Amino acid sequence: MNKTLSNRLALGILWGAALLTVAVLGALLLYVFVNGIRVISPAFIFTWPHGVNAEGGIWPTIVATVYVTALAMLISAPVAVLAAVYLAEYASQGRVVSTIRFAADSLASVPSIVMGLFGFALFVEAMGLNLSMASAALALSLLMLPIIMRATEEAIRAVPKYMRWGSYGLGATKWQTVSRIVLPAAAPRIVTGIVLAAGRAVGETAVVLYTMGQAVNLPLTPLDSGRPMTVHLYLLAVEGINLPAAFGTALLLIAMILGFNLSARWILKHYRKV
Amino acid sequence: MAVSLLMVGGCGRSQGRTDQITVSGSTTILPIAEQAAELFTQKDPSSSILVSGLGSSAGIEAVSAGTAQVGTSSRDLKEEEKSLGLVDTPIAYDGIAVIVSPKNPVSGLTVEQLQNVFAGVITNWSELGGADRHIELVNRDEASGTREAFKKIVMGDIPFDPRAAVLPGTGQVRDVVARAPGAIGYISLGFVKPRFTNVTVKALKVDGVTPSEKTVGDQTYPIGRRLHFLTKGEPTGLAKAYIDFVLSDTIQKGVVVDAGFIPVAEGGAR
Amino acid sequence: MSENNEHHSAGSLQLVSRSTYVKENLLKAVFFMCAFVFVLAVALIFIFVGWKALPIVTEYGLGKFITGTVWSSSTGQFGILPLIIGSFIVTLGALALGTPLAVGTAVFLSDVASPKVRSFVRPAVELLAGVPSVVYGFFGIILLRAIVAKFSGTLGFGAFTAWIVLAIMIVPTIAVLSEDALRSIPEGIREASYAMGATQWQTIYKVVVPAAKIGIIDAIILGMGRAIGETMAVLMVVGNAPVFPAGIFAPLSTMTTQIVMDMPYAVGLHRTALFAMAAMLFIFSMFLVATVRLLSRLRN
Repeated sequence: MNKTLSNRLALGILWGAALLTVAVLGALLLYVFVNGIRVISPAFIFTWPHGVNAEGGIWPTIVATVYVTALAMLISAPVAVLAAVYLAEYASQGRVVSTIRFAADSLASVPSIVMGLFGFALFVEAMGLNLSMASAALALSLLMLPIIMRATEEAIRAVPKYMRWGSYGLGATKWQTVSRIVLPAAAPRIVTGIVLAAGRAVGETAVVLYTMGQAVNLPLTPLDSGRPMTVHLYLLAVEGINLPAAFGTALLLIAMILGFNLSARWILKHYRKV
Repeated sequence: MAVSLLMVGGCGRSQGRTDQITVSGSTTILPIAEQAAELFTQKDPSSSILVSGLGSSAGIEAVSAGTAQVGTSSRDLKEEEKSLGLVDTPIAYDGIAVIVSPKNPVSGLTVEQLQNVFAGVITNWSELGGADRHIELVNRDEASGTREAFKKIVMGDIPFDPRAAVLPGTGQVRDVVARAPGAIGYISLGFVKPRFTNVTVKALKVDGVTPSEKTVGDQTYPIGRRLHFLTKGEPTGLAKAYIDFVLSDTIQKGVVVDAGFIPVAEGGAR
Repeated sequence: MSENNEHHSAGSLQLVSRSTYVKENLLKAVFFMCAFVFVLAVALIFIFVGWKALPIVTEYGLGKFITGTVWSSSTGQFGILPLIIGSFIVTLGALALGTPLAVGTAVFLSDVASPKVRSFVRPAVELLAGVPSVVYGFFGIILLRAIVAKFSGTLGFGAFTAWIVLAIMIVPTIAVLSEDALRSIPEGIREASYAMGATQWQTIYKVVVPAAKIGIIDAIILGMGRAIGETMAVLMVVGNAPVFPAGIFAPLSTMTTQIVMDMPYAVGLHRTALFAMAAMLFIFSMFLVATVRLLSRLRN
């Protein structure tokens, strides 16, 4: 086979690979959309599940998901951003920084079941928080920390040096420079990172299963438990009795995460100054 | 199917509020418990009843540890559990149907044959008068009261074949068996008829008896069981009100029958 | 890139007031503690999970645990070899299926697609990466299992179904990371290759991919990490039989799925065994991270 033919063939295969990947995504989304859209209605979103087979809506699960994700964001964002500030602005390369990075990578790769069991052992049992929004938020924030930190660090590094030099030249201290020049300039990317991390948190199942439980409940305080949408979908799917509700839940879940991802993208595009 | 954890050591806040109780345990009983809880809190909005289904064993553990006020179980207490100080209030009867695909020509088995099938000794339908097809075993997860009851009545001391697929939900067992001509599984009689689906399964005769509410009630059908509500000591307060409500006609002739179970007043003891 | 703004006190020019100096150092300490949270978290996970898992070593025996072939909680036997094998079967099969597709997509994005096409495909792949595992599991249990059951005549649970679901899940991860690695190869290398008369494909497989080799291997390793740690999606299609599977359509179990199945009712040594498996999974994932870091260091 001459090289032009093999070139054509290979390129064709590569096109095929990409198309297959996109097709799978398309098929999955289409399947969930088609089956789920007929279930979606204001009633579905705003009423409670009731009856033998979770007929009705999924409102408390939506609240639980949003509540715990917001709580996790509140906990993880400040810590992760400041940690990134340290690594990007203050730290000198050395064993300490290397250890921190290794820890961050490890945290990012923890299997979710391990995080779930850990969350159960530490937050639910040892710290006595019981199955609650608080326990779940703490466990989720551990998963979100590396994502936000990585995004923030990249964002900070992307801020051009001349902006810092200008600030120091005017006599500003390091913190003044960081807080008034660097962070605001890096803000869009940081927010993007936080939003993407939140998207990850929304999709977690094993972690919240062991830290929040699965009783349907409308959480008011952080010590209340509840059932997030992912767990609800899991239970519906596995019971296999009320599939329409399962499709509806899946659709809303995907819509929420897509919403997060797309708004992250939009923020990046429209607010980038750097 | 339900894989959450309420077996936590710390009792904490679950004991605090007198207007809230936690009910946990059997997935078979879950529909009754949830509907009853919903109707109860509609009548008395100051009360709050948190219901979850993690399996009968988990429910027994939870109520004896104090993390749940009412434990539900679709199996009888084991020997070692009898000394936990739990008070047992039966709330319904249930038959366990052995199901196969409607395409399966076999229509009945003896308890002994069932035992051999689920132990993995008989592996082909031809040994039972059916087609030449490998028997695909569908088992329930170990937390399931349905499994416990089946084990106690059919298997005795013989262990289940570990190669069986273990599924965590009644609906799933049903769906899987319905679509696989070689499959066999067991579910609560009440779930044999389809609800949200048009996929059907066939319930086998056991020892010649067709499972039905009547044959479970008069005990001619061999695989039947009691559904229990358990409390630590005699039920009091909200728990008692709730259990009394479950035993009332509203629930017994409504939800219990809707779910395919047999009201406790009509059935025989087992 | 940290600007060194340390101000020595005695002997040299003091450029800021003492209070500012104290404040700056205090802030630095606070930020350091935030960064240290990561190390603390990992250490805590190690300690807690390890401590809960310890009785397996002291009371049961690590060797018996890892090499035992029977997992039966009712008889007190906790041999996890079938589960370890199960985890590997499921992971390696998914990698075998998913890696070619993922790397192919990555190469397409970096070297073949026009910017317009790329602006459509790359976000699509990234979005695929964000779909939660429970949705994939749902898809597997509702659609895939029934299809596999129909054409194989079995229940439809088992390695085969798990491979497909898991492969779909790890393709976006591997593809995105591989593409990043490929894009970081300077254009000059490609131009040199074309200048010598190579076709696009020849350039890709002889020049670009080998140059990005380590980055792509990193991506595959991270994909492997995701696959081995995946729980929900696999749980819904694998069949949960803690034995060595007789075939690719026979039910099996993995370490992650066994933990989720047993946790609700496991007590005593049984629960310890589950935590021990979690500990092993954690150690293995850290090992993968260390491998990736080592490879990256070699690249530099």
